Amino acid sequence: MGGKCPHRHVKKRRYSHKTARRTKFLVKGDDMVYDELKKPDEQKKSLPVDEDLPGMGQYYCFHCDRYFSNVAVRDEHFKTKRHKKRLKQMMGPAPHTQLDADLAAGMGMPDNGPKLMSM
Amino acid sequence: MRLEKCWFCSSTIYPGHGIQFVRNDAKIFRFCRSKCHKNFKMKRNPRKVKWTKAYRRSHGKDMTQDSTFEFERKRNRPERYDRNVAEKVLKAIPKIDKVRVDREATHHKNRMKGKKSKEQKEAAKELEQGIVLVKAPAALQQDPSLTLPQKIKVKVSQKQSEENHAMEE
Repeated sequence: MGGKCPHRHVKKRRYSHKTARRTKFLVKGDDMVYDELKKPDEQKKSLPVDEDLPGMGQYYCFHCDRYFSNVAVRDEHFKTKRHKKRLKQMMGPAPHTQLDADLAAGMGMPDNGPKLMSM
Repeated sequence: MRLEKCWFCSSTIYPGHGIQFVRNDAKIFRFCRSKCHKNFKMKRNPRKVKWTKAYRRSHGKDMTQDSTFEFERKRNRPERYDRNVAEKVLKAIPKIDKVRVDREATHHKNRMKGKKSKEQKEAAKELEQGIVLVKAPAALQQDPSLTLPQKIKVKVSQKQSEENHAMEE
């Protein structure tokens, strides 16, 4: 997460800040994590082996969307305050969505017409 | 023309205004102005930011359940054009709008019901607790140090000002 920012006027030490912050862009949104957690256990994807991820992508925290290098580090992460905060947040009400925004603006539920196919 | 609502503050976005962000899972986030966009980038929760509609709704500041909300909705079904229906709709819009505004006013009135008596009670309590700080008018007359000193009027003559001019030069 985040690289140290060198002074721009030192020509040698300039680097693209975007590459340093890449991991920040890849973090999943709250609603995506929430939806993933709401899924029943059978539907949850098993962790595929990925060489590019830390620990071959086997040690993953669903709540914080983070990969760890081994079990010990992951268990250490589970004890942190940040993880516990996240856990509590994900147990709470569903994150804000566009539908919530529309309802708050005084709009009714979307009208999708009658169902064409009976399921 | 479709008028969208801002993801963050729920205000109406007219065509050509605001900015929209499409996430890599094809979800669209629309923002009415850079203020809302910045707040989104800071990962703020609109339910916890006081100036948003989402906050006002969830904290009972605004009307939540009302039949007038059923008229404005996202229609994902194309409506066949009918001149008579269009005419009726145009006639109904101001009427419905008036009903909604009136109901909102009553909601606000009901919400503010106990406010005046509460404020008066608080003011009375404050007065009671701070009565020692208030001096009686008789005491003020006896002790001149409690009041501001009287203004002293000084006459400035024209001659004096001329002298000043001379000094400056």
